[in-house]
Amino acid sequence: MRQTATPRPLGERNLRRLGGFSAPVRHSVKADTRSAAVSQNDRVDEVGQQGQRRVDIQGLWVRFGAVAAVRGIDLTAEAGRATALLGRNGAGKSTTMRVLAGVIPPTEGVVEVDGVDVRTDPLAVKRLTGYCPDVGGLVPRATPWEHLQLSARLRRLEDWEDRAHDLLERFELGDVAHRVTSGFSHGMGRRLSVVLARFHQPSVLLLVEPFDGVDPLGVEATLEAIADARARGAAVLVSTHLRDLAVQACETALVLRGGSTVARLRSHELVGEEGAGVYRALLD
Amino acid sequence: MSTALSWTELRTGREDLASLLAFRRSGLSDAERRRVRLGALLVLLLTILAVLGPAYLGGDTPRARSGQLLALLPSLCLGFLVLASFTAVASAGGREIVPRDQAVAFPVSTVTEHLGALILAPLNIAWIAQAWALLGVTSYALGPARLWAYELPVLLWILGATALAQVVGWMAEGVRRGPHGIAAFRTFLAVLAAVAAALVVTGRLTPLLDRSPTAQILVIVLEGQARGWSTWAFGVVTLLLAGAAAVVVGALPARWALSRPMREELRLESGRHEARAVPGSDFTMLLRIDRAAVWRSVPLRRGLTVLAVMPGAVALAGNLEWTMLTILPGLVASGAALLFGVNTWCLDGRGALWRDSLPVTPRAVFASRSAVLLEVLLSSAAVTLVLAALRAGRPTTPEVTALVCSTLVASVQVVAAGMRWSIARPFAVDLRSARATPAPPIVMAGYSARLAVVTTVTGLVFSGLAGIDDIRYAVATALVMLLWSCLRLQRSARRWDDPVTRSRVISVVAGG
Repeated sequence: MRQTATPRPLGERNLRRLGGFSAPVRHSVKADTRSAAVSQNDRVDEVGQQGQRRVDIQGLWVRFGAVAAVRGIDLTAEAGRATALLGRNGAGKSTTMRVLAGVIPPTEGVVEVDGVDVRTDPLAVKRLTGYCPDVGGLVPRATPWEHLQLSARLRRLEDWEDRAHDLLERFELGDVAHRVTSGFSHGMGRRLSVVLARFHQPSVLLLVEPFDGVDPLGVEATLEAIADARARGAAVLVSTHLRDLAVQACETALVLRGGSTVARLRSHELVGEEGAGVYRALLD
Repeated sequence: MSTALSWTELRTGREDLASLLAFRRSGLSDAERRRVRLGALLVLLLTILAVLGPAYLGGDTPRARSGQLLALLPSLCLGFLVLASFTAVASAGGREIVPRDQAVAFPVSTVTEHLGALILAPLNIAWIAQAWALLGVTSYALGPARLWAYELPVLLWILGATALAQVVGWMAEGVRRGPHGIAAFRTFLAVLAAVAAALVVTGRLTPLLDRSPTAQILVIVLEGQARGWSTWAFGVVTLLLAGAAAVVVGALPARWALSRPMREELRLESGRHEARAVPGSDFTMLLRIDRAAVWRSVPLRRGLTVLAVMPGAVALAGNLEWTMLTILPGLVASGAALLFGVNTWCLDGRGALWRDSLPVTPRAVFASRSAVLLEVLLSSAAVTLVLAALRAGRPTTPEVTALVCSTLVASVQVVAAGMRWSIARPFAVDLRSARATPAPPIVMAGYSARLAVVTTVTGLVFSGLAGIDDIRYAVATALVMLLWSCLRLQRSARRWDDPVTRSRVISVVAGG
C-alpha cells in the first residue's frame, strides 16, 4: 500500500489498526469473491503494463465559494485498469468524477484525460469519457432510447442501434426502452445510467454509485460492463460506498477523506473483516 | 372512504401549515427574506392605493360613470370567481407549499394541503390585479364617504370566492383522477364551452349576467354607502360565514381528490413513445428532447392549454377590438413562461448532470432551450389570437402589424427574462405533479408581477401604435425592443458559456 498525504493525523489507534497492512490478508471472508477479483486483476495487470495513462490529475482543487470540496487530489488511471474511489460522504469522490466528466471546472490543478486538458478542451474530454452520475442522471421525460439517440447523435456514432439494443437487453431494460424514465425505479435508473456511460465505448468510464439500489442481476451486468471496458483498454473509475463490490470490480482503491487522498491500496487489501478494519481506520 | 372532518383535524392542519411555512422560510437567505418583506410591503401599499386612490381622485360623487361601473360590479365579481376557479382547476386543486418529493417524508394531511393551496392562491399577479380592480372600481364609483363600509363586502367576496374556487378546483381534480375521469372532465369542458358559445352567439350572455347572484354584493355595497346598516350587516355576516364555510368544506373534496391516484401522470409515465429516426443535426436532436420535456409534462400541458384557450375565450366573449388584442400575447407569454420558462433548466431534472457530460457546445444547448421556450410562447399566443380574432371584425393593416409586432416583442422579452432568471436563480424542481411550480410560490409571485408589468406596457405601446396609419412606427419600435431583448439574451448566453456558472446551475437543478 502506498500512503499519500493526509489532511490530518490518523491517530494512534488507527495507526495500530493499519499496522497489519503488510501482513498477508486472512482468507476468512469472501474467499471466492477475492480470488475471482485477484485472478481478474492479474489478467488486467498484463493489459495495464502495456496500457497508457488515461487519467492524470495533479493537485486538483475544487472550491464552491468558501467551501473546498476537493483539496489537492493526485490521481492517475491507466488503460485496462479499474480504480475504486472510496470514502465517506463529502470526501470529494463525486466532485472529482464530475471534474473528469467535464461538468465542473477545476479551480486549481491539472486534469488530463488521454492527454487532453479538461480546462482547455472540455468537449474533447466529454467525447473521451462516459459518465454515470450519482444523482439520477436521467432526463425525466425522455425514454431510454431517446437518451441513446442523443448520445449517439452528439458523439457521431454510426450503426449503434444493434449495440444499444444488446446493452438494453443485457441490463434488462429492453421492455422499457420507449417509456419515459420518470416512471423508473431507482435501480432501473442506475442500470440505464451505466448503459449510457459505457454505450459509446469511452476511453475513460466514470461510474458513480453504479451498484446503489441495483438488484443482483444488474450488479452482475455492471461488473461485466467494467470488465469489458478494461478488456478494451479503457480506464475505469468507480466511486462507491459498497466496499465488497469495489474490491470485486477494481484492482486498486483510492481512499479520500475531506477532499484529499489518504491512501492508495491494492483492492485485495480491503477484502474481508481485516480489509473492513483497514478501511474503517482510514475513514476516521 | 370516510369524509368526516373534525375540528381537531382542522386545528392540526392549521398548525402543520404554520410548520411548513416556517420550513420554507428557513430556506431563505437574509437577502431573500428582505426581498420578501419588501415585496409584501409593496403589495400592501399598492392595495391601499388601489382602495384609497380612486376614491380621492377629486370631483363630485357620484361620478359621471358611477352608474355604469356599479352596474358592472356583479359581473366583475362573477369574473373573479370564474378566473379563480379556472386557476385552481388548472393547478390541479392548488399549488404545493412544499414540493411533493420533499414533503413525502412528512405526514402532511390533506387538510394542510388544502389550507396551503388556499394561502398560495393570491400569490399570482392575475389574482392580485383582479382584486385591485374590484376594490378600485368600487371606490371610484362611490367616493370617500363610508369607504370602509362598502369595501368590506367586496373584500369578503374576494376572499370567499377564492375559497369557493378552491372547492371547485379540488372537485375537478377528484373527477379527473377517477376512472375515465380525464374523458369525463374534457366532455364537461366541451359542454361548458358550447353553452358559453351559444349564450354569446344568441346574445343571452348579458341578460344572464344581469341575473347573477353576485348582484347581491352590489346591494350590500350600496346599503353600506347609504347607511342601511341592518341589510349591510346581514350581508356582511352572510359573506363572512359563506367564506368560512367554503374554507372548511373545501377540506372534504381535497381529501377525496388527493386520495385518488394521479392517473394522468401515471398514464404519461407508463405510455410508450415510439422511436423516431435520429435527426440530421445536433440542434434538431436537442430540440426534440427539450420539446418532449415540455409536452410530456402534465402541469405544462394543462397550463399551456388553459393559457392558450382562456384569454382567447374571454376576448371572444368580450368582443375585444383589434387595438386591445395587442395586450393578450404578452399576458399569455408571461403565463406560459411561469409554467417552466423562469427555471428552464429544471426540465432536465436529475438528468442535467448527464446531459452536461455530452460533447455539445453550451451555446447549442442554450439556443435549443430558448427556441423551445419561444415556440411554446408563440404557439400559445397564436391560439389565443385566433380565438380572439373570431369576433373582432376585419382588421386594418396597422392593427395587424401592431399585433404581430406585439406578439414577437413580448415573446422575446419573456424568453430573455426567463433565460436570465433560469441562470441567476435555478431550483431543483420535479415538474411531474400537476400541482408543481418551477420555483417556490413567493418567487413565482415576484416573477409574475415583473413579467406582467413589462408585457402589459409592451401591449399598451403597440395598442397605441395600432391607431397610427403608418406601420413604420410600429415596426421601428418593435425592432428597437427586439434588439434590446436579444442583447439581454446574448448576455445570458455568455453567462451560460461560463463553466463555473453552468456547473452551479446544473448542480442545483440536478439536486446535488
